[in-house]
Amino acid sequence: MLPEALPEIAEADLERFFQIMQAQFGYDFRGYAPASLKRRLGTVLKRYGLKDLHALNQRLLAQPDYGERFISEITVSTTELFRDPSAWVAFRLQALPLFAQAPHLRIWHVGASTGEEVLSMAILLKETGLYERAHLYATDIDTYSLAQAQRARYPLRLKNLYQQNFAAVLPGVPWQRYVKEEGNEMVFDPALLERVRFLKHNIVSEAPFASFEVVVCRNLLIYFTPALQDQVVTRLVDSLMPGGILMIGTKESLFWCAAAKRLVAVNETERIYRRRSL
Amino acid sequence: MTERPFLWVVAGSAGSFTPARQFVQEMPYRPQVAIVLCLHRMRKPRVPMIEAFSRIPYWQVVEPQDKDPIESGKVYLAPADYHLLVEREGYFSLSVDEPVHFSRPSIDVLLESVVEARWPRAGAVLLSGANRDGAWGLYLFHRAGYFTAVQDPQEAEVPTMPRAALELFTPNRLCKAHELVQVCLEALSL
Repeated sequence: MLPEALPEIAEADLERFFQIMQAQFGYDFRGYAPASLKRRLGTVLKRYGLKDLHALNQRLLAQPDYGERFISEITVSTTELFRDPSAWVAFRLQALPLFAQAPHLRIWHVGASTGEEVLSMAILLKETGLYERAHLYATDIDTYSLAQAQRARYPLRLKNLYQQNFAAVLPGVPWQRYVKEEGNEMVFDPALLERVRFLKHNIVSEAPFASFEVVVCRNLLIYFTPALQDQVVTRLVDSLMPGGILMIGTKESLFWCAAAKRLVAVNETERIYRRRSL
Repeated sequence: MTERPFLWVVAGSAGSFTPARQFVQEMPYRPQVAIVLCLHRMRKPRVPMIEAFSRIPYWQVVEPQDKDPIESGKVYLAPADYHLLVEREGYFSLSVDEPVHFSRPSIDVLLESVVEARWPRAGAVLLSGANRDGAWGLYLFHRAGYFTAVQDPQEAEVPTMPRAALELFTPNRLCKAHELVQVCLEALSL
C-alpha cells in the first residue's frame, strides 16, 4: 500500500459518526462540506492506524475523553500572522478608521485557531492607537488550539513568512517591537493579549454571546455546505452592530447567504463588508 | 442544478505551465464541458497566474471561489495556497488543510474528490512535474473508470510526476504535449 492511500469512508459509518458526535459530544458535523471532511477523516484514521471509520466510531464510544483530542485532530488549524497581507492593509485603511472615534471596539475572531490572527489584529490596534479601547474575543471549538493561542509562541521556522507578512502590512514598523526569540521559538509580547479573551465556542450550534463592531471569520466557512454557510453568516451578521465590519477569507463568498443583503461591500476583493444601518 | 458538465482536469507541476496554457489556447469550444487546471504554483507569485490566461478564445478563465457551481464553458484555475475539491452537489469546495506532497493545491486531493463525488463524466491528464503528487490520485481516478492520460516522460520537462503515475498503472493514453487537445476530444467522444 502506498503512503498516499487513505482508508475509505463508508456512507453508513459516516451517518453513525454524525450520530455519535452529536449525541456524545454535542457537535453537529452534518453541515460540513463532505469532500474535505471525508479526506480529513481518512487522514485521522491513518494517523491512528485505524482501518476504517467503523473502528473510529467504536473508539469514540468506548473512550468519551478522546472526544476533545479528536476535535482537535479533525479541525483545521492552518493560519498565519497577517495571512493575505493585502486584506489586512485594506482592513487597516478602510475599516479601522470607521472606529477612530468609537468609545469601544469589540472584536470577535471566530475560529481563532492557534491565535496568529488575533495577534495580527492586536498589533494593528496597537499601531493605530485603538488597542486600549478594544475588547478582543477569540473563539474556537478546538481547545488544544486555543491553549496554543494563549501561549503566543510559534516555531522559529515560520519567522520568514510571518515577518514578510508583517512588513507588508506595517512597513517601517520594527518587528522586534512585538517579537523576540527564545530557543527555537518566536515569542510575542504578552501585552498584546492583555485585552484578549479566549473562549470555547461553536459557531455551528451556539448563538453569539455579545454584539461586536468587528467580526473576523476567515477560512472557516469553506468547510461548510452552502446551507450551513447561510445559517452561520446569518448568525455572524446578527452579532454585528449596525455599521459593523465583517471580514471573511479572500476566496470565500456570500453567494449562498441570505444575510448578504444586510451587508455592503467595503472592499469586495478582500472580502470586507459592513452591516447596513437600520 | 443543471446537468453536470464533463470535467476535464489538466494537472502538473514544474514544466507543466506551458503545455497547459497551450492546451487552453487551442482547445475548441465544446458544450457541456468544464476544464480544471490544477498546477502547482508559487505561493506568492509576482504576477498572478490568471493574468497569463487573459486572452483565451473560447473559454472563460476564472479562479473559483469556495462553493462556486461547476459550470460549462469555463476553465477553472485552482487558486494558490488552497486545495480545490469537487462536491457531489455540483460545486467546488476550497480547503486550507495541510499541503499534500508539499503542495497546495494538491492534485491527489482534487482527483480523489472527483472520484468520491462520483462525478458522472470526467477525464484527466497528468503532465510534467518534479514530485509524485497526482500519481495516486490519477490511479484512483483510472480505477474508478474515468479516462486518464499521462504526458510521455521522454518529452516532459521534468519526468518525475508522469513516471510516478506510470509506475502505478497504465493510463488510457500516453501523450505528447502537442496532442493534449486531441486527447481531450478523444475522451469527450467516448
